[in-house]
Amino acid sequence: MNTAIPQKNLEEMLDRAVREVTKQAAGVCLFQGGGELSEDLCSVHISFNRGFHTSLTLCADTALLTRMAQNALEEETPTTQDLEDFCKEYFNILCGKIAAILFRYTKIPARFSVPEFYRGRYTPEEHQMQFVLTYADGNQQSAHLTHYVPQGGENNGSAAK
Amino acid sequence: MAKRVMIVDDSRMVYLQMKNLLEETEYEVAAYCRSGEEAVEQYGQVSPDLVTMDIIMPGMDGLETTQAILEDHPDARIIMVSSLAYEETFDTAKEIGAKGFIDKPFEKERLLEVFRAALEE
Repeated sequence: MNTAIPQKNLEEMLDRAVREVTKQAAGVCLFQGGGELSEDLCSVHISFNRGFHTSLTLCADTALLTRMAQNALEEETPTTQDLEDFCKEYFNILCGKIAAILFRYTKIPARFSVPEFYRGRYTPEEHQMQFVLTYADGNQQSAHLTHYVPQGGENNGSAAK
Repeated sequence: MAKRVMIVDDSRMVYLQMKNLLEETEYEVAAYCRSGEEAVEQYGQVSPDLVTMDIIMPGMDGLETTQAILEDHPDARIIMVSSLAYEETFDTAKEIGAKGFIDKPFEKERLLEVFRAALEE
């Protein structure tokens, strides 16, 4: 992904998608520049498997994700299963938006894996971090979106271009 | 009589949202399938008026599932519901015979507008 698009542009695209989708799908406004994550975290992860060969992980305070799930589901007390279902669908929508933005820029049609949900912090194996976008909401709860490329050099994570 | 809708999406959240949005409309949820394989198996028994089809699913994806259903049931009215909203996906969906495309996250008005158009076609 990173060799098809300059990193600065890619960061801007991801940032725009994160803020738009979070507002639209979960009614929460995120601002760049959030602080440290708390100890109670959840992660959700996808790998791009057609067009691009990178992956994205969102790691966020459980309290923030729970509030997003409450808004999306209009449910005061979402169960742990509701939270997992929400996180996976939210990230599915986010990554779809990212794929659509990338297509407009590169004309490369991307597909990605079914989202995986984890309690705590998740780091994909055999990948190295390229950059992290950090966010906070009005309650100072945080979320980090990390872009990973396959280990062994950035070119391995590039688009087929 | 209410039009019967079959929802195909691995996300239970989408099923719950769509079910809520369709309440007090002329549509009812006739079946919910969490995979493409399940949808192909159930389509003939349920015989819905409309199908909403996710694209990214474990196993058969929504485009493969749509093709498989249309092979056996050429009159099936299938609407893709996905966040992969860009020209390449629109074109593929249209080529294989989908009757419409709804971008996720969806709103009630858009859902009903595409449903009506698919039924009138």
